[in-house]
Amino acid sequence: MPHAGPWLGYVALASAAIAAIILLHFLLRRPPLDLRTKLMLLLGLGVFPTITAATSTVAGMEATTHREFCGSCHTMDDHFENATNPDAQSLAARHTRNPFFGEESCYVCHADYGMFGYALTKMGGMKHVYYYYLGGYRGMSKEESRRDVHIAKPYDNKNCRQCHTTTAHVWRSIPDHQAMAAQLESNRVSCASPGCHGFAHPFSKGPDGLGAMPSASGHPAAEPPH
Amino acid sequence: MSIVDLFRKKAVAWLGKHSLVSHLRLACWVALVGLAVMAASIIDPAPLTVIFAMSVGQVIGIAAFLGFLVSILMDVVRGSDHPPDAPGPAQRFRESDTKADVTSST
Repeated sequence: MPHAGPWLGYVALASAAIAAIILLHFLLRRPPLDLRTKLMLLLGLGVFPTITAATSTVAGMEATTHREFCGSCHTMDDHFENATNPDAQSLAARHTRNPFFGEESCYVCHADYGMFGYALTKMGGMKHVYYYYLGGYRGMSKEESRRDVHIAKPYDNKNCRQCHTTTAHVWRSIPDHQAMAAQLESNRVSCASPGCHGFAHPFSKGPDGLGAMPSASGHPAAEPPH
Repeated sequence: MSIVDLFRKKAVAWLGKHSLVSHLRLACWVALVGLAVMAASIIDPAPLTVIFAMSVGQVIGIAAFLGFLVSILMDVVRGSDHPPDAPGPAQRFRESDTKADVTSST
């Protein structure tokens, strides 16, 4: 999605204000319902609200791509803090420091890049909001969320390959890449896994950062999370 | 009487029952609520306000606009010879139908 910038928000607010002035004038001053009033109502009920709806939707969509938006739920506090920590060495932190990712580092890495990727990503985001407010995430402590909240499906290596080409000489010259090309292609091995480039958010993968998650009883769980 | 005629008569009767101005005023209040919800999502782009504006806010806005379209229909049905806050022509339609029925029966 192209950067719309803050001006879109100003357009939405300005058109909403103009529409509100027209409507309040009609409601409070009660002018005669002549042609002029009807045209003003067409602007106040049709044209300006449509502009407000369109611009606020685009601005809202853009707001959902910002890192602050993702980090505004307490279950994402650790992810947000780690990503923005200048000393952290996790994949997420290193990518966030890259100006290309900028303020949208969560979105750039987690967005689907298929034909309907934008819509699918937004639908996934809606699901997160639903889980947060109605699915019990809101009442979770940080420890519980670290243990119980995981990525919905295994991270797709295609997302890494949006930037890191797998056809260039540098990539092909790494023996491990060549040996595991088929597994990487089919997502059976993740780029962001221990032994390769490490977890993107290692603090969420147990005390050792390698996937040994403590269970509810405090003992390490048998299976590492996705 | 065909279904289209029946639907037309019912629609005209419904449109005539309500005052055009009060209908417009209701649409205005609903639109103001929708605008407030959408503006709130710009001022405070928190998850709940943004999602609420993009779903409920849009529905409220569409409802207000549909209300406006209905009031245009009411205006068209009534014609220009009636004050906008007067009841519509439902009574006239009913009377003309009664006359037509009486004429056809005789």
